[in-house]
Amino acid sequence: MKPHNRIAAEYTRLTRALRLASVFAALSGALLALPTAAADEPRMPIFDAHVHYSHDAWERTPPKVAIAILRKAGLKRAMVSSSSDEGTQKLYAEAPDLVVPSLRPYRKRGEIATWVRDESVIPHLEDRLKKYRYAAIGEFHVYGADADLPVVRRTVQLAKQYKLWLHLHGDSEAIERVLVQDPEARILWAHSGFDRPEAVRAMLKKHHTLYADLAYRNDHATNGKIDPAWREAFMEFPDRFLVGTDTFTPERWYYIAEHADWSRGWLADLPPDIAARIAWRNGETLFASMMATRQ
Amino acid sequence: MRRLGRAALLLVLSATTCAVADVGDFTPAELSRIAAHGPWPLSWTPDPGNRVSGNAAAIRLGRDLFFEPRLSANRRVACASCHDPAKGFQDGRITARGLVTGTRNTPGLLNVRQQRWFGWDGGHDNLWSASLRPILDAKEMGGSAARAARVLRSRTALDCHYRQAFGKPPAAGDPELLVNIAKAIAAWQETLISPPSPFDEFRDALTRGDTRAAAAYPAAAQRGLRLFLGRGQCATCHAGPLFTNGEFGDIGIPFFIQPEGVDPGRQGGIKRLLANFYNLLGAHNDDATRNNATATRHLRPEHRNFGEFKVPSLRNLTLTAPYMHNGSLATLREVARHYSELDEDRLHADGERILKPLKLSPQEVDDLVAFLESLSPSKALPAPHAPPTVDACHAP
Repeated sequence: MKPHNRIAAEYTRLTRALRLASVFAALSGALLALPTAAADEPRMPIFDAHVHYSHDAWERTPPKVAIAILRKAGLKRAMVSSSSDEGTQKLYAEAPDLVVPSLRPYRKRGEIATWVRDESVIPHLEDRLKKYRYAAIGEFHVYGADADLPVVRRTVQLAKQYKLWLHLHGDSEAIERVLVQDPEARILWAHSGFDRPEAVRAMLKKHHTLYADLAYRNDHATNGKIDPAWREAFMEFPDRFLVGTDTFTPERWYYIAEHADWSRGWLADLPPDIAARIAWRNGETLFASMMATRQ
Repeated sequence: MRRLGRAALLLVLSATTCAVADVGDFTPAELSRIAAHGPWPLSWTPDPGNRVSGNAAAIRLGRDLFFEPRLSANRRVACASCHDPAKGFQDGRITARGLVTGTRNTPGLLNVRQQRWFGWDGGHDNLWSASLRPILDAKEMGGSAARAARVLRSRTALDCHYRQAFGKPPAAGDPELLVNIAKAIAAWQETLISPPSPFDEFRDALTRGDTRAAAAYPAAAQRGLRLFLGRGQCATCHAGPLFTNGEFGDIGIPFFIQPEGVDPGRQGGIKRLLANFYNLLGAHNDDATRNNATATRHLRPEHRNFGEFKVPSLRNLTLTAPYMHNGSLATLREVARHYSELDEDRLHADGERILKPLKLSPQEVDDLVAFLESLSPSKALPAPHAPPTVDACHAP
């Protein structure tokens, strides 16, 4: 058995044991008295593809504390971006084994809606890309025809030049426009565009370089059971999905562990190998290995 | 019939608009929305989950217990210590202070019968369960069944009203005792209804076409009302006669708590509620149909719930400063400025889309505050906080 399959199988056994324990505990009225042996079992690793560490986060949760949160949550790796990029660099310096840096076009909070028309973003990106190593540019927000604005076009060019991913938060139209600019652009579609599973599948089928994170969405699973339409998407494209928390406010750093556990819960409803891919292997394959080649 | 009634009301309101220049040039759509914030007070119905809801003996018992500090571990903290009747059943503090200081602002209790979820995080789906928690919470009152039974037996009126309401004596070993106490306290709180406010008088005057009476409503409040309904989109969440949709939202208020950690808000509340032995899905719900548990049955925590807090009613705000779940805004002016200068980056790009910085002028801030102030009663509240009763009581 391959290592990842072994972990997935162990994880499946663990979740089954936990479910049985939960039923027993509920019946006996001892909800909190889960067997300690089960609690000591290894957890499914998680590659969290959607973490931000902006200035208000690092002021409140310094890098050492932040890294401790990630490790305690059982994260294998986290793709981190921040406004400004300083937060990402602080975190990467603290734990290069854990942090996969991504470069946002935002120098401070408040540029989400304005950056696409702000020419000064370009030298910011160029300077940072020369100075630091990244796996991606993003997460950035762009919708519809704005994807063809010069600042966005240059961003797409820079991603191509530096062989980086684009972590794009936007609609399918923006994705299409970017892929016209560079048909081989590799895009991680933030939140799967908040689109319906059928629409996400159609986009993944159409664009082989498009991947999707599931951050800040709940519709794919309820109480650990996967929605049928989403299940079809996961089964059809097991190598194209990743999970993510989206720490868009500093407080959400304290949700990372909760989110990881929630993800483990619904992933257990998938075949172990597919669960492991979405949980962490896809992230490792796509991003972490990239960083390794840039050492 | 209901549609016909609404149409008739709209006709009256529209006619009023044309006739009354000095009560603002509200459009028919605005008038309809104004009408939707009344009438006040709402009709009262007993809580089907509480078999002593509306029961006179239970109400009397509940009132006395509400002011009873001996229920607490140090015999000095009563429900009324934080829920002060003179302050809209709030305490005026930033965060509540029971046996120790808490992390959330005390919610007022006026009109509490009309709520669906209780507490800033909605950790309770019924008023009696919400009333029981602080009695037992080691940080708030630190009470117990044994202590409660002693208190009930210590005073004839308490003991007697308990027997009247529940048909048996208060016994520490009775697993129903604490729930019964909580249901009695809830029964009393259900009677706390705020009187009509200047806004209600304005709304009612518009509805009946009484332009003279409507004109008594201050112009600043009328301008604030228009902001509230229009550009502010406040009524989307602060809807209906209670000025709340009863649900939860993230309005960009930080939710860190000292020294380290966060208040998870609604996300934690849902988990707490679903794990609560005293929720409406449990054995203590007196509604045999369980129809009142439908919302609870369908609750599922979502990522967006993390950091969401209850949309509060806007009635009686002048009595209940400071504001927000953590009491971080001292005045209504600060509240208006918060929405004026909202930090959009604290809100998810695909989450609370309705919230945008209102960029209010100083005049607009004043107007919005004038409107909010007009939602508090113009007359003094009745004094429900009489000393504990020693009325004659004849137990069954």
